[in-house]
Amino acid sequence: MARLPVAPVPRLDHHTLERYETIWLVISVILSLLLFTGVLVSFISGTYQAVRSDGGSASGGHHIAGVKGGRLDPRAIAATPFATPGLRENADGSFEAFIVAKAFAFDPAVLRVPAGRPITIHLTSLDVMHGYMVQGTNINATVIPGQVTSFSVTFRAPGTLSSICNEYCGIGHHNMLARVIVTDPNAPTPAGEQP
Amino acid sequence: MTTTLPRTVRPAAVSEDAAHLTRLKTVTQYYVVTAFLALFIGVLIGPLQALNYGGINVYEFPLLKALLKSYYQGLSLHGVLNALVFTQFFISGWMLYLPVRDLGVRINLRFAWFTYLMMTAGLLLAAVPLLTNQATLLYTFYPPMQGSPLFYIGAAIMVAASLLVAGQVIWVWWQWKRAHPGRVTPLVTYMCVATWMMWLVASLGLVTEVVVMLIPWSLGLTAGVDPLLAKTLFWWTGHAIVYFWLLPAYISWYAFVPRHAGGRLISEPLTRLTFALFLLNSTPVGLHHQYSDPNISVLWKVLHMFLTFLVAIPSLLTAFSVAASLEDAARAKGGRGVVGWIRYLPWGNAIFSAQVLAMISFILGGAGGIVNASSTFAPVIHNTAWIPGHFHITVGTATTLTFIGIMFWLIPHLTGKRLPSMKLASASVWTWFLGMMVFALGMHWQGLLGVPRRAQISATGSDVYRDLPIAVPQLLTAISGVILLVSALIFFYVLFRMLLSPRVDQGEVTTPLPYSEVLSPAGENLAQASRLVRLTEPLLALWVAALLLVLLMYGPVLLGMVTDLQAVPGWKLY
Repeated sequence: MARLPVAPVPRLDHHTLERYETIWLVISVILSLLLFTGVLVSFISGTYQAVRSDGGSASGGHHIAGVKGGRLDPRAIAATPFATPGLRENADGSFEAFIVAKAFAFDPAVLRVPAGRPITIHLTSLDVMHGYMVQGTNINATVIPGQVTSFSVTFRAPGTLSSICNEYCGIGHHNMLARVIVTDPNAPTPAGEQP
Repeated sequence: MTTTLPRTVRPAAVSEDAAHLTRLKTVTQYYVVTAFLALFIGVLIGPLQALNYGGINVYEFPLLKALLKSYYQGLSLHGVLNALVFTQFFISGWMLYLPVRDLGVRINLRFAWFTYLMMTAGLLLAAVPLLTNQATLLYTFYPPMQGSPLFYIGAAIMVAASLLVAGQVIWVWWQWKRAHPGRVTPLVTYMCVATWMMWLVASLGLVTEVVVMLIPWSLGLTAGVDPLLAKTLFWWTGHAIVYFWLLPAYISWYAFVPRHAGGRLISEPLTRLTFALFLLNSTPVGLHHQYSDPNISVLWKVLHMFLTFLVAIPSLLTAFSVAASLEDAARAKGGRGVVGWIRYLPWGNAIFSAQVLAMISFILGGAGGIVNASSTFAPVIHNTAWIPGHFHITVGTATTLTFIGIMFWLIPHLTGKRLPSMKLASASVWTWFLGMMVFALGMHWQGLLGVPRRAQISATGSDVYRDLPIAVPQLLTAISGVILLVSALIFFYVLFRMLLSPRVDQGEVTTPLPYSEVLSPAGENLAQASRLVRLTEPLLALWVAALLLVLLMYGPVLLGMVTDLQAVPGWKLY
């Protein structure tokens, strides 16, 4: 390509750049603050449910037996509700689900939950760290031996979802899968099936 | 081009002793070449991982099975060699050599050799369990998954060696300060010392985790370990370590890339501010890796998130400053228009293009990083394939491709050997960038659809991944593995040919350190310097402030965990 003859171009000078620099710095700071505000708004509007900082200790007013300060002894879960994992309905009508992770499976392998009802999920591990991610939802939590991970969630539509361990847990990690079946609470329970 | 503008350093070569310089260059060369040998092994394993995320399981081939017991062992080697070994060796050599040359001082070379040998001994010690499947823990080695004590001891020795390099550089700088009262620290030294100081604050978490918790536990001296406390200490270091990988690349982008382009470094005071902000703010951000973890106060997670957003600011300043340097260079060569000047940059020079492609990659990686740091986005992408997609365009390209570009002039500079082929060097650089872009696209995409990271999904028995619409991103990921393998083979051919060629030049004459001219220098005397220069000069005070800030942001979190300690036994499930 033939270049046109060009006159000497004036080079960038200190004062011009300093002005642009300052403008850019102000934009950067405002962007960071806006990001932070955006996240806080998402907290307040309830689109985001944080993992609780007191796993199991004060779950919706229900104290979990054998759990103290969000901690339990992974060798002594017999004294806790994790001994009989699955969904339960409390006397006040609230739902709680207990899930145990262990290389390389979740117990229960199939969790049935009613759609449209808030459910508090409690997780713990009997061996190493695991992850609990439910595809198509915002559920994504770490499962740690000796600790209880608790959060609340409402499954909106009936269907079958995959839950996947997403924290490396050993040679069978990629086969550590389970399912969540969200049922329509208004439909009659099929005969012979327990929720 | 005018030559009357002040340089970033005064010519110091006159007082340098030739024998000292030769020996300094040798130890530097040992560091950087060891780094690239680790990268060589590490990247050869990479395509196996890419093919896994392409849905192709190659770990069943008999030859491979004889070498690597599992996908997870391959992944552990890939991660440890590339992210931990390659970076640390290169950075130690790079940030030892630069400040010593910058200040024109003599150092205790025996000590420098000692740190190199110690780091190498740590590496070899850790390599034994890694290669024998006794430490298949991935590079995060979260307990209670337990590895051989040799792995933890080797890693501790390696990190300790890097802290000794840090100590030597800070000591050399401090001696220079005492000998030159009232002088402004030269910019390259300033950037190196600030980065080393940041690493000293940042590494405390990892050192505590490994020395106090993991080594005694793996030796059987303690019965159990608290996995949440260990993970929290890990991320004290684990996020700041990415700045320990990134800032050495920034040093090159600020000080040397303008010279490769034919432009000027824009502002020394602003550059110093950037590094001062990184020193203060790199470490107290680690909880943003733990949004999914239980039993950590949401308030502390949010505070760390806020500081993480703030640490984007020095990177945004860098983007401005470096882009202005490039524009300055292109316009000096006659470039015009709002974007037309970009064509006037030396894209055929692999030293330049490697580093500018690294910057472009980091713009995308940084944007993705802000998504990761936001606690409300995190559940969508946490521990999904998005994350390896993210760090292959940050550490895997922004850092690695910059170091690759640096090698094309650093080896000729250190040894007097010549780059055998600029065309091949360019081919390796452009294919690396292309491969990583395709890889990142495939992996980010799969992650958004819910494919987990670090999982041998190509061997998963159930239909869970076959039911997902991931055929296109899987194909992209598999293709990228092949592109990157070709790129790596070209690069290592160029590198090894260069290293094995005879010395033909005087490195100091034919390839001097590529210092750039400066548009707005900091000046030499503190008394006449601007307020910003005077404020950023007391690095020791900034270091203490950084330490206090991290104690403030981590103290209450860790205290709560220590008082509620829940030790659990170890497991070996690989």
